[in-house]
Amino acid sequence: MENELIYVYCISDSPLGIARNVKSKDLKSLKFDDFYVMVKYVSENEFSENNFKRNLSDIQWVETNAREHISVIGMIMEYTTVIPFKFGTIFNTKAGLQKFITDYSVSLTENFHHIRGKEEWAVKVYCDRKALCDQIDKLSEKAADLEKQIMESSPGKAFLLGRKKIDLIDNEMDRICKDFGQKYFDEFKSLSESTSLNNLFPKEYTGREDIMILNATFLVSKDKVPDFKWTFDSLRKKDENSGFIIEATGPWPPFSFISIKEKPDAR
Amino acid sequence: MHDNVVDRCKDITILEVLDRVLNKGVILTGDIVISVADVDLVYLGVKLMLSSVETMEQLKSGKSIAGK
Repeated sequence: MENELIYVYCISDSPLGIARNVKSKDLKSLKFDDFYVMVKYVSENEFSENNFKRNLSDIQWVETNAREHISVIGMIMEYTTVIPFKFGTIFNTKAGLQKFITDYSVSLTENFHHIRGKEEWAVKVYCDRKALCDQIDKLSEKAADLEKQIMESSPGKAFLLGRKKIDLIDNEMDRICKDFGQKYFDEFKSLSESTSLNNLFPKEYTGREDIMILNATFLVSKDKVPDFKWTFDSLRKKDENSGFIIEATGPWPPFSFISIKEKPDAR
Repeated sequence: MHDNVVDRCKDITILEVLDRVLNKGVILTGDIVISVADVDLVYLGVKLMLSSVETMEQLKSGKSIAGK
């Protein structure tokens, strides 16, 4: 079957060249009004609504295509500002894509203005609760006080206080995680133009033993990126023994900071 | 941290990639687009993939699945 559906990667407001090493991906740059859209023609066998949704249950297929989606946008992003589309955005016809561009042109221009000269950085913070628990007396005044009382008490009282401490430690670890998460968020926020909080993923999704306590994205001016990286490095080193693991990735296409508003009379 | 997005992508987990490309902030349009229910389906795939990796590792290390 001929490839006739249009898979959309991203939009730019300046002409899009296709790097030599990605030509094999059948990419095509289409121009609509003042915008340039990077697309690929895809087959109904793979991307018709039914086939596409069936493929979504195949994680290997999703992984290959999601990685390709972000790689293509990432390569274009290296030389121009782009508005990225969600993975798997497909138009049936060129006319439909043209209508979208026309209807949303004002909003697209506003978004370009908002993201130009900025980069998206993602920060995830994990807590190793065992490591945190090991040094709870250093991080929690309440736990340290209770420990002192235990040491000074008779064996019977110490036993009861010990049980009390187990509950206290749990609550204190929750509080410390919250405080550290907020601290990291505030530090990175102070260097950013915009922020976005994403869902926290449980262990079954991360495949990690530690617990995700912060999943945030920051839109950072390019001139502030060195400070952002420096802050990341210093926080990571400072807290690595406290049981907090910080991971930062970027620059990403500005997926989290696009807000498209339709013009009132469209559709 | 890598400087090149292509190199970076190779080392990044699928969860991180999906967290970006299926983010709630990106454009929701097109004649076909992944819906919230579809996103749940995709993440279910991630979970199943990870649990099968875990099962494989347990089998390799000789632990019984029943004893999990």
